[in-house]
Amino acid sequence: MSLFRYASSIYGGGDTLIGANYGLLPWFAFAGIAFVIAHAIFKAVAAPGKPH
Amino acid sequence: MIKGWEEMTPQSADRVERHKFIDRAYHWLMATAMLILLLTAFLPILGIKFEWVGIHWVTGLVLTVIVLVHIIRACFWQNFWAMMPDGEDLRAPFAKPGKYSVAQKLYHLAISVLILAAIATGLLMWRKVDTPFWQRDPYWLSTDAWGVVYAIHGVAAMALVTMVIIHVYFALRPDEWHLTRSMLRGWITGKEYRDHHDPRRWPAKD
Repeated sequence: MSLFRYASSIYGGGDTLIGANYGLLPWFAFAGIAFVIAHAIFKAVAAPGKPH
Repeated sequence: MIKGWEEMTPQSADRVERHKFIDRAYHWLMATAMLILLLTAFLPILGIKFEWVGIHWVTGLVLTVIVLVHIIRACFWQNFWAMMPDGEDLRAPFAKPGKYSVAQKLYHLAISVLILAAIATGLLMWRKVDTPFWQRDPYWLSTDAWGVVYAIHGVAAMALVTMVIIHVYFALRPDEWHLTRSMLRGWITGKEYRDHHDPRRWPAKD
């Protein structure tokens, strides 16, 4: 799945970039949630009680 | 700021000022603006339709103004480089930090790039919106140039969703509550200062 959206140019000459692919929004949210889960597991298992 | 131990009242004797009121106000204003911008941008995409354009560009303008104020304040009234990773951060990234840890500095750097990219492209996109100041002009840039502008704005906005999730997570972690409190009330305790910070790197004078 591409990060960008393209459309066929009415003038010909191939596809034209028209913006970001907002279909990826759930994946960006998932990336944040995945980081949160990974960090929470790391802090709980690998470094319990360590302030930094 | 440690207000000079000899001048402290019993109530304030064990508090170290971490964020001045103006900086806390900036943070929460920016957070509110960011939330409104992300909601007005993405709720219509997720199927919740409403008149979002006006709210979005006005809030974007507010964000632009407060970010400009923040940059000017950081350049002339604060230490601009305090939020940049330095040599000591690279030599000992897990040592007690100064005022900000290397992770906080890298986060600030990343979110600064994303917000500045969103603001710069948002200001260009403003030309395609009718405002009290001008009528929209969709031909102000070429189709290809508009595509690049929209792509940068959209990718930056989606990446900001990731960053906001991570930021809220750290704000809610119990071991970071002293930092969250300091963003609400301005101070951390002397014990928190000694436990979490290297006084040599953050003398708590500004």
